[in-house]
Amino acid sequence: MKEFWRWVFIVLMTVAVMAPLLVQIVWSFAFRWHFPDLLPGEWGLNAWRYVFSDASRVGEALVNSMSIALVVSLLSIAVGLPAARALALDDFPGKGAIEWLLLIPILVPGVVTTMGIHIAFIRLRLADTYLGVVLIHLIPCIPYMILVMTSVFASYDTALEDTARTLGASAVRTFWHVTLPAIFPGLLVATLFTFLISWSQYVTTLLIGGGRIITLPMILFPFISGSNNATAAAISLIFVAPALLALVFTSHSLAKEPSILGGFGRM
Amino acid sequence: MRRREWLERLKIPLMLAPAFLVLIVLFSGGLVVGLGQSLGYMPVIGLNEFTLHHYADVLTNSNFLQSLWVTFYIAFTSTLLSTVIAIPCALVLRQAFKGSRFATFIFQVPIPIPHLVVAFGIVALVTQSGVMARVLASIGLLSEPGQFPVMVFDRAGVAIQMVYLWKEAPFIGLVVLAVLRSVGTEYEELAQTLGANRWQRFRYVLLPMIAPAILSTSIIVFAFVFASYEIPLLLGVRFPTTLPVWAFQLYQDPDLSLRPPAMAISVILTIISIMFLITYRRVARYAIK
Amino acid sequence: MTTVVLKNLCRRFGNVVAVNNLNLEIASGEMVAFLGPSGCGKTTTLRMIAGLLSPSAGDVIFDNRSMLDVPTEKRGAVMVFQKHLLFPNMTVGENIGFGLCMRGVKKQEINARVKEMLELVRLPGFENRRAHEISGGQQQRVALARGLIIRPAVLLLDEPLANLDANLRLEMRELIRSIQQEMRMTSIFVTHDQEEAVMLADRIALLFDGVLQQFDAPRAFYERPCSERVARFFRNENFLRGRKAGRCVVCETTRLTVADDGGRPDGEVLLTVRPEDVRIQDAGSENSVPARVQAIIYMGAYTQYLLDVEGRIWRALGPADAPHQAGDNVWLHLPPSRVWLLPASDRSSV
Repeated sequence: MKEFWRWVFIVLMTVAVMAPLLVQIVWSFAFRWHFPDLLPGEWGLNAWRYVFSDASRVGEALVNSMSIALVVSLLSIAVGLPAARALALDDFPGKGAIEWLLLIPILVPGVVTTMGIHIAFIRLRLADTYLGVVLIHLIPCIPYMILVMTSVFASYDTALEDTARTLGASAVRTFWHVTLPAIFPGLLVATLFTFLISWSQYVTTLLIGGGRIITLPMILFPFISGSNNATAAAISLIFVAPALLALVFTSHSLAKEPSILGGFGRM
Repeated sequence: MRRREWLERLKIPLMLAPAFLVLIVLFSGGLVVGLGQSLGYMPVIGLNEFTLHHYADVLTNSNFLQSLWVTFYIAFTSTLLSTVIAIPCALVLRQAFKGSRFATFIFQVPIPIPHLVVAFGIVALVTQSGVMARVLASIGLLSEPGQFPVMVFDRAGVAIQMVYLWKEAPFIGLVVLAVLRSVGTEYEELAQTLGANRWQRFRYVLLPMIAPAILSTSIIVFAFVFASYEIPLLLGVRFPTTLPVWAFQLYQDPDLSLRPPAMAISVILTIISIMFLITYRRVARYAIK
Repeated sequence: MTTVVLKNLCRRFGNVVAVNNLNLEIASGEMVAFLGPSGCGKTTTLRMIAGLLSPSAGDVIFDNRSMLDVPTEKRGAVMVFQKHLLFPNMTVGENIGFGLCMRGVKKQEINARVKEMLELVRLPGFENRRAHEISGGQQQRVALARGLIIRPAVLLLDEPLANLDANLRLEMRELIRSIQQEMRMTSIFVTHDQEEAVMLADRIALLFDGVLQQFDAPRAFYERPCSERVARFFRNENFLRGRKAGRCVVCETTRLTVADDGGRPDGEVLLTVRPEDVRIQDAGSENSVPARVQAIIYMGAYTQYLLDVEGRIWRALGPADAPHQAGDNVWLHLPPSRVWLLPASDRSSV
C-alpha cells in the first residue's frame, strides 16, 4: 500500500518538474500549434533556424554570456578562495564582522545595489561596458563562492599540508599537489554554480550594460511575454543548457554539501 | 626572521583583501550613492540638498501601501506553499526505496534552472491557451480558452507564485533532507521502543529537530522573493506591482526627478531585508544551540 | 518479568546471512549477554527482538505470544543505545517522562515517577537540566531511567557502556546490575567485551558469524568451552593434539589423565588448559609436559610466560619474581581436573 502511494508521489513530482521543461522542447519544434491541440499541428525548424541566424543576435549574446560568466567565475575563484580559506581556518579579530560584511551583498536586494552602482559607473565611465557588467556580476558571485568554499575548507584538514611541507614541498607545490585535489570536488561545484549565477543575470546586465552588452537572458525576456512561443522556447533551451550540464555533474554533491544551495535564490 | 614574521602577519589580510576590496568598494559605493539620491542629493539635476521628503512622499503614497501588500503577499504565499510541499517530499525521500535515487534527482532539477526559463515554461502551461487548458479541453471540461482561469498578468500573481514554488520548494526540501539525513533514524527508533506511534514520533521527536532548518530556510526564501523583481516584472500586472519592480520602473523613467523616490523605495526595501537577515541569524543561532 | 524465546530466528541482508537459525530461551528476570566479535549478528538480533527489524525467518516470542505482527511501539521492549540519544529539545525530566507521556499518563503521576527514577539512578534533582549540560555518565543514566520508567517487558541494551571511559564503565556496570536485580527485569545486552559479559550476565550467548556457539553461565566459557574458537575468544590459546582412550590422552611428548572427559568419543582430540591453571615446574611429574621458555613478560603483579610446547606457543602465569629466563627448559604440570577436551578437526590450528 505504501509502495503504491510512493509511486503516485514519484509520478506527480516528475510531471510537475518536467512539464515546464518538456513543453518548451515541444514548442521549439512547433510551426503551428493552436488551442486545443495537444501536439503541434505542424512541426517545423523555423524557430531554430531563426535562432541560429545572425538576425536573432543569439550568437553574439551567447558569446557574451559565456565569456562574461567565465571571466566572472575565474575572478570569483581568484578572489574568493583565499578569503574563504582565511575565514574557515584562521581566527582573527573582527572575524565575525568581516563574515557579515562579505555576505551582505547577497542579502541586500539586487535592485538597490544595481541602481546605486549604475550611477557611480556612469561617472566612472564603466556604464555600457563589458568591464562594468563583469564587475556588477561579481557582486552576487564572489560572496556565493566564499560561502561554499568556506564550508568546504571547514571540513578540510590542514594536517595534510603540514605533512607535505615537512616532506619538503614548497608552498606552491603543496597547493597544487595537496590542497587543490582535496578541495577540488567542492570547488568544481561552486564554480559551476557561480558560472550559472552570472549566466542568469538579467536586470543587472540590462541596467549596467545599457542595452549595448547583449546577453542571452536579455534576448529571451521580451519573447516570454510575447506571442512567438516557438522562438522563445528555442532561446530558452539554449539558455538552460549549461544548467542541465551542471545538474548532471553535481547532483550527487547537492545532497552532501547543503551550503551549495546557499546561492539558489540568485538564479 | 623579522621578515617572515611580517609575511605571516600580512597573510590573512592579504587573503581577505581582494574580496573585501571588490565587494565593499563596489557595493558600498553603490549603496552610498543610492542613499544620497534617496535623500534628494542629485547634483546632476541641480538638487544639492539633503531632504527626507522623498521618504515621506513614498511612505504616505497609497500606492506604496498597496505595493507593499502585494510584495508581502506574494512572498508569504510562495514561501508558505513551498515549505508545505517541501516537508512531505523530504520525509518521503529520506528513506531508500526503489526509485528513490531517481526521485531525488528529479527533485533537484529545478535548483540550477534560471528563473526566466521557469517563467516561460509555466507560462506555456498555464495561460488560457496553454497546455493545461488544452488538456482540460481534450477531456471535455472546457471548450474555449476564455473558460480557463487567468493566471498570468493577474492580480493574484498565480503564475508568479508557481514559478517561485517550482524553484524554491526543492531548495527548502533539499536542506530539510540534508538535516533529516544527518539526524538519522535513531531518535525515532528509540521513541518507538518507548511506545510512540508514527504521529507522536513526528510531532515530538522529528519536528523539533528539523524546525530550525525549516524556519531559517523559509526566511531566506521569503527575503529572496520579497526582494526579487524579474518574475513580477515579467509575469505580473503593471499595477499594483511589487516594490522592487516599482522602484525599477521609477528608476528607468526618463524623468530624472523620479530617481530620488525610486532610491527611497530601494532603501526602504533594503532596511526590510536587513531585518529579515537579523531574524535569520537569530533563528540560526538558536538552532545551533 | 517476561520470558523471551527466539525460535529459528534468521536474518539475511542480500546474500549475507547475519543471523543464522538462532534458538534461545531467556527466563523471566534473567540478564543475558549477547557476546561476540563485531559483525557477529548480536545487534541485528537485538533489533529483531525490539521489532526495529523484521526477521527473514523464525519468530520472537514474549511470554508465549508471537511478536511477529506486533509493531515496536506495542512490544514493550525498550532499547538503550550506545549513544545516549537524549532528546535535545527536552529537559532531563521530560526525557525520562517521554514514554509515560506517549501513553497519556497524567502529568502529576509522571512527575512523581520521574522523581522516583532519578533517585534510582542516583541523579536526584536533575529534572530541569538539559542533555548537553550533564556529563556522559549522567546522560547514560538518564537514558537508562527513560527506559526503565515505563516498566518494560524486556530491557535491551546495545553496547551501552562502550562510549564511557573505564572508571565510569565500572560504576555503570554496578548500577545496571543492581537495578536489574532489584526490578527483576528480563534484560538483554549486547557487548564485545567479555569481561563485561562475565561480570553482568546470568548467562552469555556467544555468537560467531550469526551462529550461536554456546549459551551458558559465564563460568562455563572458561571451564568448559565448546570449541577451540570459543576458548580462543576467552583468551585461552593453549592447545595440544592427542589421542584419547578412556580418560587417558596420549600426546607427542607425554601421557595425561583427565578427570572429566566431557563425553568426547575416543580418538583424536584437542586438549586445553587455561593459562591460569598451568603450573610451571623445574622437574617432570604426573600429568606434565616438557616445555621451553620462549619469553618472559613482566606484567607488574605477575609474570607471563611464553612457552614452546610440542611446537606450539602456550601461555602460563608465574609469580612476579619468576626464577626463569628465556631458553630454560621447564615442565608444565596440567592438573587433571583443569584439563578440558575439545573436538579436533582438520580446521583446527593445531
